Amino acid sequence: MNASLIAGAVLNGLVTGMLYALMGVGLSLILGLLNIPNFAHGVLYALGAYVMFSATKAFGFLGGALAALVAVAAVGAVIEYLGVRRLYRVHPDYILLLTFGLSLILTETLILVWGPVGITSQPPALLAGGVDLGVTVYPKYRLAVMTVTGALVLACYLFVTRTRYGAIIRAGIEDKDMAAALGIDIRRVFTLTFAAGAGLAGLGGALMIPVRGLQTTMGIDILPFAFVVVVLGGLGSLPGAILAGLLVGVVQSLMTALWAPGADVSVFALMTLGIIARPQGLLGER
Amino acid sequence: MSDGAISRDPILRTERLTCDFGALRAVSGVSLSVERGTLHSVIGPNGSGKTTLFNLISGETRPTDGRVYFEGRDVTGRPSHDLPHLGLARCFQRTNVFPKLSAYENVWVAAFARRTPGAFGFLRRASDFSPVDAEARRILGEVGLAHKLPARAETLSHGESRALEVGVTLASSPRLVLLDEPTQGLAPEATQHMTRLVQGLVGRYTILLIEHKMRIVMSISNRISVMAFGEVIAEGTPDEVRENRDVQRAYLGGRR
Amino acid sequence: MFHGPRGALLRLALLIAAIVLLPLFVRPVVASEIWIFAIAAMALNLIFGYTGMLSFGQATFFGLGAYTAGLMMIRWHAPLLAVLAGGTLVGALGAAAVGYVCIQRVGTYFIMLTFGFNQMFYFIAYKWTAVTGGDDGLPGIPRPPLSVGPLSIPLESSTRYYVFVATTFLLAFYAMKRIVDSPLGVIFQSIRENPVRAAAIGYDVKRFKWIAFTIAGAFTGCAGVLYSMMFGIVPLESISWIVSGDIVFMVLIGGIGNLYGPLLGAAAFKWLSEAISVVWERWPLILGVALVLVVLFLRGGLVEAFTRLRDAFGGPGARREPGETLPQRVRAESEATP
Repeated sequence: MNASLIAGAVLNGLVTGMLYALMGVGLSLILGLLNIPNFAHGVLYALGAYVMFSATKAFGFLGGALAALVAVAAVGAVIEYLGVRRLYRVHPDYILLLTFGLSLILTETLILVWGPVGITSQPPALLAGGVDLGVTVYPKYRLAVMTVTGALVLACYLFVTRTRYGAIIRAGIEDKDMAAALGIDIRRVFTLTFAAGAGLAGLGGALMIPVRGLQTTMGIDILPFAFVVVVLGGLGSLPGAILAGLLVGVVQSLMTALWAPGADVSVFALMTLGIIARPQGLLGER
Repeated sequence: MSDGAISRDPILRTERLTCDFGALRAVSGVSLSVERGTLHSVIGPNGSGKTTLFNLISGETRPTDGRVYFEGRDVTGRPSHDLPHLGLARCFQRTNVFPKLSAYENVWVAAFARRTPGAFGFLRRASDFSPVDAEARRILGEVGLAHKLPARAETLSHGESRALEVGVTLASSPRLVLLDEPTQGLAPEATQHMTRLVQGLVGRYTILLIEHKMRIVMSISNRISVMAFGEVIAEGTPDEVRENRDVQRAYLGGRR
Repeated sequence: MFHGPRGALLRLALLIAAIVLLPLFVRPVVASEIWIFAIAAMALNLIFGYTGMLSFGQATFFGLGAYTAGLMMIRWHAPLLAVLAGGTLVGALGAAAVGYVCIQRVGTYFIMLTFGFNQMFYFIAYKWTAVTGGDDGLPGIPRPPLSVGPLSIPLESSTRYYVFVATTFLLAFYAMKRIVDSPLGVIFQSIRENPVRAAAIGYDVKRFKWIAFTIAGAFTGCAGVLYSMMFGIVPLESISWIVSGDIVFMVLIGGIGNLYGPLLGAAAFKWLSEAISVVWERWPLILGVALVLVVLFLRGGLVEAFTRLRDAFGGPGARREPGETLPQRVRAESEATP
């Protein structure tokens, strides 16, 4: 166990953690506003990756990423508009089941379109290779992704907490009926928020291709971790999701370095401890 | 605590009960005393903290400060599911029953809670518990729903719902009943029914009543506490309260 | 027609008829699977339909039961009834532990927690290859004979095993019915309908939720035991979210809250999945579409569809609603009232 290994593990943890934070933020917005665990969140992440993979061939890296963001956000908007919206008046459990059904449909569609075999991909030439950080040499791309994802997360946080539209979203989370009574087109807010959450997940998937590759199961694989992040962070708390995301990422990564078989289990052990010690989540309110 | 003889102490006593919701002080230093066997009303304008006071007493909300004593026992902050077993039951301002269960089942399940057998009792069918069945029927008869036993609670009219609301409360065989606006939203005739029902409870139960309809309050109460902005601003017999200046001011001279 | 004590007998007769006739329509293996998952679906119905808690992690207990049974038979050559008891017990204990944590939260959180725990156990099963065989599953599981005293009945043939599974199902069904007819049934429903009021009338809601969850875990573990002996192997999939989702789907499509709904759902689901997966590998796509359609347009599930059909043909609705725990007298009175 040397410093280089640990430094590498921590950095990996931050990369994964930023991704988890991004997923957590998107899921937290949807959860906070719509009060449903979006079972399709994982597959939207996967969809973003696959779209990016194909779009990059035509539009290059940045174009591909943009395509992924827009495409998945659009899918999210359609899901909300055609499906979720019909079920607001009905029990929230049904929305969950809807998203679960959609995740099945989308996963199978991925297999149908792109085939069942996993795909790996290299980072763009500009970001290939490593950077010497003194204690260790670390891939340039991962540092870039960590930075960009971190910036995205921060941007989301600032948008929701500092802008007028963000205030509207928070008002909707707080009290939908009141927000609607104040003349806010709450339905449009819902659609846009869902789309934004989806888009973030898709973008996350897209950016992580060189790090995690593409598999048709990547959606369902990441979903429980996204849930853990939201549960651990606290309902509707964006800072909580961010903090929890980083925590989960780092813990998982360190465990992988220390005792690989325990890596995933440790995440859930962390969640259990969190729930018992602090039922409202790290930064959530009672 | 009770030594067998009927205690002369108040059945319910609150001491400087306070409840803050963030910056909002909903209930402020309420010290209330309810004598056994009486009908004690709590009145006040909307938002004066009456329902919150009930919530503090019955355990739905934890007080920020102060204490609640029921039959001499400190019950402050006890979870709401403890109170019926101690002898205190409440009804809710907005009908709060079990919508898809029948009226019978609504009352049955409340009555059963107080007659829970040991673990093995749960092996029997629900329909085998004749004492609970008898009690449920008796209460439904008393609140005027004998003809509505199998009706799902969500299908009842508003008047019938309020009656069921009270019925569920009584099924806990309490000694102290907290009634939160039992006549809420009722038409005049239904209101009369409910008033007679409540009056019929006096003596068998101690009643703490929240009411808006002044005529009822004045005619059936032994004592009245008046709340405004979370505080008790006056207390006394109906006559005393009627004469009280602060009370008149609180209501701005208007009568509900 | 389905009301009253004669109605209960009629329903029972139909059920037994279904058990007897099913192997004529599907292979005994599929038929066995139907009753196995019917037990698991009934269990979920208890916590979802009756108590209002949607668990998306029942595979945890299904898998625990299956792996326990497998290990007991492989390592200890345990007799059949002991295995059945062992798997059921482990299912119950697992549910007691997991349930204790999950019921600290409600609604959405509860669901995510059950899902999360399911994943945790899945990962443990995946990595702990020495015990579970990991991705390859736990193979070499025998089918011990049913021995009671001097009597020993071999269960090697699919048909015989079907009879055993169906009998176990009937016993489980009876047990579930007794639970639902007991005061627990009404208490659970009151918690579903209005947990605040349930507490206000004196029920420790968390404790009763925990009891419901643990009972469901026991039943699900039992189903897992039966499953382990179906193919002689416990596949990793038995503890995966896929099975959790399947069970949820069965309850949903069959009709929630109704004692017979889950049975219909299990039958429909298993039959469909068998029929379609033979033809098309992408069968989950159909499942997803079906789920979406049911959720959007047919929320009462098959039971509601069945009821609507009956009503359409002019019969008195064969409705069994969750609220029907009235003693016979009261129901009879209500029918006599004009």
